[in-house]
Amino acid sequence: MRSLRRTIGLTALGCFLFVWAFPVLWAIVTSLKSERDVLEYPPIRPFTPTLEAYRAILSGSSSLWLNLESSVILTVFTTLISILFAVPAAYALARLRLPGRRGLGFGILAAQMLPPVGLVIPYFLIFTNLGLLNTYPGLIFVYVYFSLPFAIWLLISYFEDVPREMEEAALIDRASRFKAFWYVVLPQVKGGVAVTVVFVFLNAWNEFLFAVTLGGRTVRPVTVAMYNFISLEQTRWAELSAASLVAMAPVILLGFAAQKHIVKGLTLGAVKGTSRQ
Amino acid sequence: MSLNGAVSLASVGKRFGNYVALHKIDLDIRPGEFFSLLGPSGSGKTTTLRIIAGLETPDTGQVSIDGRDVTHLAPGDRDAAMVFQSYALYPHMTVAENIGFPLRMIKTPRADIERQVRQAAERVRIAHLLHRRPGQLSGGQQQRCALARAIVRSPRLFLLDEPLSNLDAKLRAETRAEIKLLQRKLDVTAIYVTHDQEEAMTLSDRMAIFIEGRIVQLGTPEEVFGRPVSSTVADFLGNPPMNLLPGMLVGNRLTVEGQTLHLAGGVGNDPRPVLMGVRPGDITLDPNGWPATVVLAELLGESVIADLLLGQAPLKARFNQMRRFAENEPVRIGIDPARVHLFDPTGPRIDLKQN
Repeated sequence: MRSLRRTIGLTALGCFLFVWAFPVLWAIVTSLKSERDVLEYPPIRPFTPTLEAYRAILSGSSSLWLNLESSVILTVFTTLISILFAVPAAYALARLRLPGRRGLGFGILAAQMLPPVGLVIPYFLIFTNLGLLNTYPGLIFVYVYFSLPFAIWLLISYFEDVPREMEEAALIDRASRFKAFWYVVLPQVKGGVAVTVVFVFLNAWNEFLFAVTLGGRTVRPVTVAMYNFISLEQTRWAELSAASLVAMAPVILLGFAAQKHIVKGLTLGAVKGTSRQ
Repeated sequence: MSLNGAVSLASVGKRFGNYVALHKIDLDIRPGEFFSLLGPSGSGKTTTLRIIAGLETPDTGQVSIDGRDVTHLAPGDRDAAMVFQSYALYPHMTVAENIGFPLRMIKTPRADIERQVRQAAERVRIAHLLHRRPGQLSGGQQQRCALARAIVRSPRLFLLDEPLSNLDAKLRAETRAEIKLLQRKLDVTAIYVTHDQEEAMTLSDRMAIFIEGRIVQLGTPEEVFGRPVSSTVADFLGNPPMNLLPGMLVGNRLTVEGQTLHLAGGVGNDPRPVLMGVRPGDITLDPNGWPATVVLAELLGESVIADLLLGQAPLKARFNQMRRFAENEPVRIGIDPARVHLFDPTGPRIDLKQN
């Protein structure tokens, strides 16, 4: 009975894994094909693997280096700024008994539900007037605007988990308010900060809509650049696959690095989140 | 006497919203004294300690330490160390880092920190655990770590908030004795919050009983135990607590459940309803005494705690002998008139006049 359930469970897990991983696997295979092999039918047949597509996107005429650089600039600054503001904000919201705290939590969620498409045109007009169109500060501002509420909301539950007494002990042990935060509270929410970094990073790295409308020709992250491989006459599947795999790499690396924290953080956040609402 | 670690509260009051946690209380704690704040939960004892520590600011009144007004001073500037009920150890630091934290915060040189941490750890016998983290310690060891963190800075004031309540019974008794010894050796003023009257009795030089935000009695354990000022205090102290039975006092004749007791004194000749208080240990088996029935008897070893029925009134007695009782066994009990406490039905103690 037990082993049967185990078998069924493993089979189901295997199916999910295959369905989830299939596009990625397909992309890996496609990226190793030549343009000619890609268009062969039926698609599953022997072919000679080639790194031609990778060569093209990393050094050739359609090099993605500048776009990767754009992505890195956008993502790193978005993440840094978001964390820099989210950590103190979340700490304050978790610790201070502010009136309307609940309302604020709802507001943050409501803001998350707003479809971003609705804001594209207003942003475009405002940015045109402010001269922020096609600039890094402009796009970073938009990204921070969207990620900050979520980051704060995510971090609050971590700060709430740090017992107040611990901070009071630090105050009695002659720490200043800031030192108590820095030496006692912050190290204990490290995991939460890691999770938040991953989420903010992910959102910024994968963003497409605002980048394509507000970034113009000067600020052009990988997500937008990849669209160049799709044109009216043809889609360069091999290069597109290679590009998406290259674009995926940093996210996957970050995921592995923060894996321990993410799993713990998601379950913790989930339970805390539902109990608080 | 040196003025070191004297604490004085003058009409200190605190409310949380509409809830009055502390009515204006006055309290003077002498240097070097082991002073307990005893009371049931919600009585204001912890609030008082937190106000002394500086973790709460009183709404009214003034807190002074050694004659200096510290009411608005930060907790770290009061030279007071505190042991929390939860110990509040820093989980991400080793035991050594935990103990050294108060020194690190005032930029003590590294070598000095190391030496002082070792000394403090040796004092509470955890020097072999310095490299561990709090999560790897037993409850008793965590407790010692918290104590070491408090003594490492040689404070003049030692604040303890129910430090023993998370330990098991045996460890609690051991640690209790150690805390007392430590306080004597360090010659420091200790203020100890507890709801356990046994802890307060055994540890304290003096103690204050808190009930509903007021200090209702203050004195040495002997004074408080021997002469409770009200039926509430009497009911709170002792294990099991004092029996309180309604009766009638006429002159020096006290009538309870149809039985009469001749007291050494009275309060005039008008009949007056009273509460008779008698401690379980002051009730004896006496062939010439009052008739009662044993409802339940618990053998504790050297003594027996018996639930008795005297007429309609339930009564607890502790007989200092090994003896088994049958269910509903009739017994005769003696009450020494000299050990009877009298209270007004509204609470306050009644003192008898000799006649």
